[in-house]
Amino acid sequence: MDARNPVANPLIVLREEFDDWAILFDPDTGNAFGLNPTGVFIWKLLDGKHNTDDIVSRLREEAEDVPEDASEHARQFIASLEKQGLVGYEVIAGSPA
Amino acid sequence: MRLMRTPKKIDVNITNRCNLRCRYCYHFESAGDVEGDLPAAEWLQFFEELNRCAVTEVTLAGGEPFIREDLKEIIGGIVTNRMRFAILSNGTLIDDEMAAFIASTGRCNYVQISIDGSIPTTHDVMRGKGSFAMALQGLMTLRRHGVPAAVRVTIHRKNVSDLEGIAKLLLEDLRLSSFGTNSAGAMGLCRKNAEVVQLTTQDRTIAMETLLRLTKKYNGRIQAMAGPLAEARGWLEMEEARLEGRPPTRGRGSLTGCGCYRTSLSVRADGTITPCTMLSHIELGRINRDDLGEIWRDHDGLKALRERHLIPLGQFSFCEGCPYVNHCTGNCPGLSYTLVGEVNHPSPDACLRKFLDEGGRLPDRTLLC
Repeated sequence: MDARNPVANPLIVLREEFDDWAILFDPDTGNAFGLNPTGVFIWKLLDGKHNTDDIVSRLREEAEDVPEDASEHARQFIASLEKQGLVGYEVIAGSPA
Repeated sequence: MRLMRTPKKIDVNITNRCNLRCRYCYHFESAGDVEGDLPAAEWLQFFEELNRCAVTEVTLAGGEPFIREDLKEIIGGIVTNRMRFAILSNGTLIDDEMAAFIASTGRCNYVQISIDGSIPTTHDVMRGKGSFAMALQGLMTLRRHGVPAAVRVTIHRKNVSDLEGIAKLLLEDLRLSSFGTNSAGAMGLCRKNAEVVQLTTQDRTIAMETLLRLTKKYNGRIQAMAGPLAEARGWLEMEEARLEGRPPTRGRGSLTGCGCYRTSLSVRADGTITPCTMLSHIELGRINRDDLGEIWRDHDGLKALRERHLIPLGQFSFCEGCPYVNHCTGNCPGLSYTLVGEVNHPSPDACLRKFLDEGGRLPDRTLLC
């Protein structure tokens, strides 16, 4: 297991709007970020209990035609969320910070 | 038409009390004028539901929101529940302590202050003696504390000749980035005082021309969603469409105005949920008793409103023979209800043909920005 599991910033609001699309709303800045259905699926698993590989595995179970390079896309997506302050990492006790 | 899963915004009348009695107030003597304010605990419980529904913004209105002694507690509930807020105010009760508190939340989109004149005379005539100075003081207090402040100018019969002065005061002297305009609509106290408050056709002609000219002069820093400036823009577009014999304008020709109930809901001071502040007579449920999401998705009253856009204007005798019928929205259903007792009817107040028949004149198109 990856020592660092991504976890959604609890302040951020997931606002599901039309169909399976959504926005992430940051009430402190008023900024909103659009998510496609895959992004929404990933966001809901950013609970500190799943690493990126777990998330992609779950995605493969739930969706059809998931591309082979989905892991890389998921990592990039989570990294972009982290860069915007929407995601952090829960450090597991005993692991390097 | 696709519908969001939950409303994005909620307008909340947190009080029915006000320290002023503006002669054109749309609230008092409307269906929204209800007895008694709810305790803060009720609002806090409701805000928890809004959080679960992923509502992002609450607008606090009234009455006068700053009259509530527990306003900080109410705002605190909004902040705790991951939302931002705006406040609509007459500006007269804002002090340093409250402005500092609002600034400290970091969640305020804006506090809107009503300023209707460049001098006390044109403001106080409708809002009461001393209110101009107090509103300006409130505005300056907000700005001193870094609270985003917006100004709304309500145009009426006694300030229509002061528009240039108002624009100078707000945009030059006070250096606001912009301000919004509206006009005294035929609702609430305004209906009672219509003869001294509401713009005549001639006033409306002057206001439209003046506002377009000022908007050009100040590079678009005057805004409007309703009232003479919005009408001038919309009506010039409709007139051009008529003159050019254009085909029906997309999204027009039926009751498409205004559709706020596709993104937001309102709550009266007694906790009754309504589609909009302007449709306070339509009771959809009560906060903390009825499920907001269910109301939003399933209430027959809301479904009916959301299907207004399917009703062609051509079916109304009011619109018979109108050359603008294919380019018109029918405007605000709240005004229609107030004026003719029907939500599903075009608003006579917003009728271009009626305006022209009564001697109104459209401004020169070159005044458009």
